[in-house]
Amino acid sequence: MNDFELVGRARDGDQVAFKALYDANVDRVFRLCFRMVGDENLARDFTQDAFVRVWEALGQFRGDSAFSTWLHSIAVSVVLNGLRKVDRHRKRERSLEDAGFLGQLPRGAEPGVADRLKEAVDGLPEIYRTVFLMYDLEGFPHAEIAEALGVAVGTSKARLFRARELLREALGEAMREYA
Amino acid sequence: MRDKEMEEMLTELREEYNPPPETPRDEMWSIIQARLGSEGGQVVSLETVRRSRVPPVRKTFGWAAAAAAVLVVGIGLGRFTAPVGSPATAPGPDRTATMAPSPDILRAAAVEHLVRTESLLTLVRADARAGRVEPSVGPWARGLLTQTRLLMDAEGGVDPVMSDLLEDLELVLIQIVGVANAPAGDEGRVESELHLALEGLREREVLTRIQAVVPAGPRFVGT
Repeated sequence: MNDFELVGRARDGDQVAFKALYDANVDRVFRLCFRMVGDENLARDFTQDAFVRVWEALGQFRGDSAFSTWLHSIAVSVVLNGLRKVDRHRKRERSLEDAGFLGQLPRGAEPGVADRLKEAVDGLPEIYRTVFLMYDLEGFPHAEIAEALGVAVGTSKARLFRARELLREALGEAMREYA
Repeated sequence: MRDKEMEEMLTELREEYNPPPETPRDEMWSIIQARLGSEGGQVVSLETVRRSRVPPVRKTFGWAAAAAAVLVVGIGLGRFTAPVGSPATAPGPDRTATMAPSPDILRAAAVEHLVRTESLLTLVRADARAGRVEPSVGPWARGLLTQTRLLMDAEGGVDPVMSDLLEDLELVLIQIVGVANAPAGDEGRVESELHLALEGLREREVLTRIQAVVPAGPRFVGT
């Protein structure tokens, strides 16, 4: 049975069909959520929220795109909204320019390359970070990222380019050490 | 930074940046399933409850049943609060069966219903701390849920504040019924249903709002 047929059954209240859709997609959704939030409890909550929202919105799925694409778009929306609402204090307040301070840390407090990498990615503005995580770390194609974020494919590519550029700028020195 | 260096950085990040742990499939599914609800597979959300509400044609029946509830409450009030030897003051059924309820009577029935519901919610909250649910909770909650719906559907209706409270109460009661309906031995399901019920209770401040509506004084606490 393909996804479209499973969706049809789930829409009629068949939880077994919905479970099949869950089983086929949950790993990818959870991975994406975890990459974006870095906290297991939050990743669980957002994954659960995404599937519940999908169940509630099954009637709106028209089949224009793959079910997984639609699901991922909802998951990304849940994560981004959830991070803004639930975890405002962790919202990225620093721009990548702020990440430049990493090169000016006082002696003895200098982080390792891995820490610099993490902080630089954390410091990316949200629109670039999301595309970077989806494409470079989780392997989503631009078409799916574009649909998830509601932007054109070209915009997704441009954001990835900009994200990498910002990382290069922030990590240039560290990467020379790394290399 | 050269492309080779960028590739090395990406490889490093794939391994080191928020590396996802193993997906807790079963745990998450049990919670999702609980949230999808035990009522015909529908999600137990307020919107779902509103959509599933009975059509207006049932309001006449709703009113009749609410009137009956008023009568029962009235009798209960008379029995439990009237001083010994005073005459009974409960309204007779023939006075309410053929006319719309007075807002005062409906509100009195709603308040009395809230008193009874407060007892259940307090018990459930205490049980939850002990990680269990009394077997009597299920039938009790189902009965209160029915009465809540009857009051909500009564012709004329209660005031908006009471109406909002009854709607939120309905949702919490549905979730408590879900706890009671969880399969025996499925502790994970019970725990997740209970968590949802308590979350709804807390988020909607149902107990606090009930206490604000219910006047202080002697209470009839029964099932």
